[in-house]
Amino acid sequence: MTLLSLVLILLALVTFVGGQLILKRAMESSVVHGLRQPSFISLLGCGIFLMTISFFLTLGLLQRFDLSYLYPFQGLSVIIISVMATVMLKEKLTLKLTIGALLITAGVVLVSLS
Amino acid sequence: MRDRPSGFANPWLQLTLSVMCVFVSELLLKRGASDTANPAQAWSWTGVTGLESPLVWLGIIFVIISFISWLYVLRYIPLTVAFPLSRVVDILVPLGCWFFLGEAISPRRWCGIALVIIGLAVTAKPVARLEERL
Repeated sequence: MTLLSLVLILLALVTFVGGQLILKRAMESSVVHGLRQPSFISLLGCGIFLMTISFFLTLGLLQRFDLSYLYPFQGLSVIIISVMATVMLKEKLTLKLTIGALLITAGVVLVSLS
Repeated sequence: MRDRPSGFANPWLQLTLSVMCVFVSELLLKRGASDTANPAQAWSWTGVTGLESPLVWLGIIFVIISFISWLYVLRYIPLTVAFPLSRVVDILVPLGCWFFLGEAISPRRWCGIALVIIGLAVTAKPVARLEERL
């Protein structure tokens, strides 16, 4: 793995996580303020923009690496998103949810290693 | 959690729909990306060369459907619950390869799949209890 591909993998992960958090915030604001609010539309646009970058970076990575090789990094997104949603969106992360997220991540990594 | 609609508008049904679409799109995108793989091409690292494959376009349609239902899910279900549950797709893909394509699954991979299922159960259990109370 070259330095460039490591950077691309991390960039795909960061844009994916950022996109998810922004989209969640957009949909929450839509519940309160409706779908025509400028704040909702700009958040949705931002989220879609980040998800699109992540999508094409992942597609480029899939042309170079096996899906199974890229899977552990997708698995990491479970942990990162759970933690970030707690910190940035003030969601409640219970002990059970933490254990669940850790088990899922471990499982995904194990699947991709074999 | 807020009042949630029933029937087709049920967010848990939409979560399932979203996951199934991601599952189908992953297989299509991998096939399409492999068909068009040519790392020597300029711009290939951006992934746009994958657009030459019709399978990639079909995959994109599934991505869009899953995205719309995912947005709907986000209105009702916290990210800390919805996202880990959405990773059920990580075991659907290897299981799909085993079931539909006859690929072998090693013991270690079965262990990984089992871990994910236990993790999903742990994540979903407090949610089920919350639902009962509503």
